[in-house]
Amino acid sequence: MERNKFLIFPAVLAAACLFSLAAGPAGWSDYDIILNLRLPRTLAALAVGAGLGLAGALFQGVLKNPLSDPYILGTSSGATAAAVFCFLSGIERTSPVFFAAVFAGAFGATFLSYWLARLAGRLSDAALVLAGVAVSAFLSALVMLTLTSAGARSFSLFYFVLGGLYSVQPAVLIISSVIIAVSGGVAMARWRALDAMALGSENAYHLGINPDRERILFFTLACAATSAAVAIGGTIGFVGLMTPHIVRRITGPSARALVPAAALGGAAMLAAADAAGRSFFSPSEIPAGVVMALAGAPFFMWLLWKTSRGKN
Amino acid sequence: MPALKVSGLTFSYGPRPLIQDLSFELRPGNFMCVLGPNGSGKSTLLKLLTGFLKGAGGSVRLGGQEVSGIEQGKLARLAAYVASETSTPYDFSVRETVLLGRTARAGFWRGYSPEDGDAAELAMEETGIARFAGRSINTLSTGERQLVFIAQALAQEARLLLLDEPTSHLDLKYKSEIMALLARLAGRGLAVAAVLHEPALARLGCDRALLFSGGGAYSFGTVADTLAAEKLAAAYGVPPDSPLLPK
Repeated sequence: MERNKFLIFPAVLAAACLFSLAAGPAGWSDYDIILNLRLPRTLAALAVGAGLGLAGALFQGVLKNPLSDPYILGTSSGATAAAVFCFLSGIERTSPVFFAAVFAGAFGATFLSYWLARLAGRLSDAALVLAGVAVSAFLSALVMLTLTSAGARSFSLFYFVLGGLYSVQPAVLIISSVIIAVSGGVAMARWRALDAMALGSENAYHLGINPDRERILFFTLACAATSAAVAIGGTIGFVGLMTPHIVRRITGPSARALVPAAALGGAAMLAAADAAGRSFFSPSEIPAGVVMALAGAPFFMWLLWKTSRGKN
Repeated sequence: MPALKVSGLTFSYGPRPLIQDLSFELRPGNFMCVLGPNGSGKSTLLKLLTGFLKGAGGSVRLGGQEVSGIEQGKLARLAAYVASETSTPYDFSVRETVLLGRTARAGFWRGYSPEDGDAAELAMEETGIARFAGRSINTLSTGERQLVFIAQALAQEARLLLLDEPTSHLDLKYKSEIMALLARLAGRGLAVAAVLHEPALARLGCDRALLFSGGGAYSFGTVADTLAAEKLAAAYGVPPDSPLLPK
C-alpha cells in the first residue's frame, strides 16, 4: 500500500509525455511531426526538467533552505552566461570545453551566492535568496550587454537565454542526459548524508558526516545537473523550486525517495509546460521558460509567505 | 581508560582567552554538569570536545585517541552531541530523525539494517517518545523535540554523551524528566556531560561539576565542592545569600 502511492510518479510522467507528443495544431494525425519534431523536443524537456528538479532537491536539502533552487541561487545564470560566452567565442556546443565552461559558470555563481550569504555571519534563508538574486541580476545584465553588442547572432541567443527547447542537437541531449543521470545516481546513493544536512550542518557533523565535504559534493552534483540542463534549454526557472515541494507531499522529506521523485516530477512538469507553451497560444509559441515563470513566480510568492508565517 | 580526557585546553575567539589551560577527565558512569555565566565558554567547550570547533591548544582525547586525528565516522561512534536546539523546515518523522543517529554505523550506500531499526526503537523507548514515532518532529513541543534528538544521540551508541543546555526552554516536568534520563544513562555506564543554566539542577544526579567563572578561570570537582554557594556566587556575580543559589 505504502509503495503504491509512488506509482503516481510514472503515471504523471506518462501523461505529460502523451500531452507533449500530442500538443500542436496537427494533433495525432501526422506521424512525421510526432516522430521528428515532437519526440526530440519531448525528450529534451524531460532531460532538462529532470536535471532541474534534481538540482532543486539537492540544493534545498544540503542548504536546509526550502527557498533555494538553481534559478534563485544564480546557478542557472552562471551556466547561461558561460554558455553565451562559449557561443560567441565559437566553441562547439558538443565539445567537452563547452560543458566544462558551463559547469564552471554554474559552480562559480553558486559559490559566490553562498559566500556572499555567509558574509553576514550565520547563514539565513533570506540572505541566501538575496545573494542569489544579486548574483543572478549581475550575470543577466552581463549577458544582455554581450547580446546587445553581438549584433546579428544575438537573436537566436536571445531565445536561448529566455529558455526554450527549439532546436536540440541529439549529441547535446545525449551528453547532458548522461551527466544528469550520473549526478542523480551519486546523489541517490548518498541520500542519508543529504538527510543529515537537512537537519543542519552542526547535527550532520555530529552524526558522522563532514558538512564541508558534503556541501561541495552536493553543490557539484546540483551544478552538474543544472549546467547539463542549461546546455540543452537555456535559463528555465522554478522547476527546481516547485518540484521538490510538490513531490515532498507524497514522498515525505527523506532524500531516499525525494531525490528520484523530484527528477521524475521535474521531467513531467517541464514536458507539460513546454507542450502548453506551444499549444495554448497557437499559432504563437511561448518559450517553456516563460511558461514556468508564469506558474513559478506566484508559487515562489506563496512559499515566501508560508515560510515567513511559519517563523512567527 | 577515561571516556574523555582534557588536558591544557586553551581557546579564544579574539585576543582574550575564553578557555585557558583546562584539564579534567570523565570516566564511564560520570555525569558532569557544566555551569557558568553567559559567554564563559560552556557551549564552546562542548564543540571543542567533538572537534566541531577547531584551533584549540592542548589536548582532547576521546577513548584514548586525540580528537583531531579521529576519522569523522568513528568520532560519531565515540561521542554523541545534542545541540540546544535543532530545527529544520522539513517534516522528518520522529523515527526517521532517530534513525539518522545510525548514519555512522549504517554506511552510506545501504539502507538501515534490522540492527539499526532495533537501536532506534530502543532509543525511542528509553526516552519515552515511541508513541509518536510516526509524527513529524515539527508538530512536537520543544521538550518532546529535545527528547527526539537525545534519542538520536542514543541511537549512535557512543560512550560519551554531550548535551548543550538540554533543559533550557523546558518546564519543570521536562527538566526533571531529562535529568532523570541522563542520570539513568550514566548509571548504565555512559559518560555524560551537560551544559546547564541552573545550579539547582545539578542536584538531580550529577556527580561531577565544571564551573566556569569567566576569563578562562574554572574549577572542577565533585558537585558538593565545586558548586558551594560562595563559589557559585563569585562565578555568577550574585550575592552569596541570593535566593537563586541552592542551599
